Amino acid sequence: MVNCMDRNEIINELRNIFIGILHHENFVMSESLSAAEVDGWDSLSHMNIITEIEHRFNVRFKLMELNKLNNLGNLITLLEAKLQHK
Amino acid sequence: MAFNSFEFILFFVACYIIYWLMISKQIKIQNLFLLLAGYVFYARTNWHFLFYLIAFSAANFFIGMYMEQTNNSRTKQWLYYTALLLGAGGLAFFKYFNFFIDSFKDAFQLIGIGLNIHTLNIIIPLGISFFTFRTLSYIIDIHREEIKATKDWVIFFTYVSFFPSILSGPIDRAKTLIPQLEKKRSFSVNETIDGLSQILWGLFKKAVIADNCASYTNEIFDHHQTYQASTLVLGAFFYAIQLYADFSGYSDMAIGIARLLGFNITKNFDFPFFAENIASFWRKWHMSLTTWLTDYIFTPLNFTFRRLGKKGLFFAILINYTLCGIWHGANRTYILYGFLHGCYFIPLIIKGTVGKKQNMNNNSLFSSFIRFMNRMGTFILVMLTFVLFRADTIQQAFSFYARLFNTSVFSIPTIENSNLPLLTPVLFITAMLLIEWMQRTKEHALQFNRSGGLKSYSIALLYSLIIWSVILWGYSGNKTFMYVKF
Repeated sequence: MVNCMDRNEIINELRNIFIGILHHENFVMSESLSAAEVDGWDSLSHMNIITEIEHRFNVRFKLMELNKLNNLGNLITLLEAKLQHK
Repeated sequence: MAFNSFEFILFFVACYIIYWLMISKQIKIQNLFLLLAGYVFYARTNWHFLFYLIAFSAANFFIGMYMEQTNNSRTKQWLYYTALLLGAGGLAFFKYFNFFIDSFKDAFQLIGIGLNIHTLNIIIPLGISFFTFRTLSYIIDIHREEIKATKDWVIFFTYVSFFPSILSGPIDRAKTLIPQLEKKRSFSVNETIDGLSQILWGLFKKAVIADNCASYTNEIFDHHQTYQASTLVLGAFFYAIQLYADFSGYSDMAIGIARLLGFNITKNFDFPFFAENIASFWRKWHMSLTTWLTDYIFTPLNFTFRRLGKKGLFFAILINYTLCGIWHGANRTYILYGFLHGCYFIPLIIKGTVGKKQNMNNNSLFSSFIRFMNRMGTFILVMLTFVLFRADTIQQAFSFYARLFNTSVFSIPTIENSNLPLLTPVLFITAMLLIEWMQRTKEHALQFNRSGGLKSYSIALLYSLIIWSVILWGYSGNKTFMYVKF
């Protein structure tokens, strides 16, 4: 099911994950959105977000891949690539 | 050559004049000059290890460059691990070799086997923890493809030996300092005034607060068996203030000196004694070390243990802070210090509030009672662990703790040495904390908006009082900074 999701569906799913972890909706899901712009998105909540993404999308990330992420757009692109190779 | 010595003032004034008046137009010559100044500064403090510093810089420069150039991933990995081994090996040998040997011997002694292994008479190169962590971050960031290796050896060698921060930090990352070395620095009057203000505040904290507190802490800690608990609490309080004023004073001076040369180096303290919990304290205390450990130790551990949930987070934090303790030196007191700080996080991990940052901008001048109590509680927890920092051995620290926790804690503290009146340091500490509280949203305590009117006169009066305090009460006997030994 998840490996045929399009970009918008991924964004919607990620939004639900963010709300669940950060406990607020004070952010707009744009490609350029970065952790610094979102209240409560720090290194610890980031790891919770990543763990939840891995669980919901049934994928595994490498630390090296996460270190290169600069914004939400990068995360979605990485997730798309992982889903395509499943 | 301590920042608060006459020799350093002469050295820096000469550097400053040459840097801005004679070679300001040629960035390459400016960098070469900074490198030579760094080596003169280091050699004047510790000439025996100048060759080690140069060889260590050269090894990391070439490894970084070859890691960048090679397309063979196996060679890249090999170079990466060689550089890590070089950095960690140097630290292990100079700082921890004798500790390993002693611990090994003690462990065998416990099971009745006596080993005849001798320790070595090792002198630790000053600043080794700081410049090693700089080069390690450079190599790791190249490996993570977060930065490109620099091809300019002068820039790299200057980055490693940057004299304002080589001996006691802040631990600047390559991605922060190297781009500034690559760009032309321009002279700015505002930056100069701001830099001088930060140096003055650092000098005040070092000479007036820390060095005067040292007389009290030395007296109380050295004779703690003769004092009642209330005096020991006072001693622990003075030591916490001394450590903060000394180290943050050094950092303020280092940042100010770098600013005079046109550099913005990493902030190291953000008024940590106003933190409301231990996580917040570590976001404000020795920030350059905390962020270094977060990026290279805690995050990989937290990532590895991520499926264990809160248990995984606890293990990651505990390992991270125990290593933070060990970083300070080869002594069981530092290990216990770090371990205790890791344990302090347990309530926050259970409540899920480790990552929540406090927003100090929303505070009114007088914070709520609960927030005040949280600050007091955090300060007391930290102050108690600093006893381990001050003690030479675990036994000494425990002897202090044993006398600290008894009913005489409710008596009036007294000090037998009549040359040490309590009112003066208490007044200065109150003044320092008050100024820092009022300025807690600023980069440093003497950063003001220079608009006209009465406020300018108030600022001028404050500056005058600080300068006169340094002249009249600045203790001139102790020139060394506490964190230089790390």
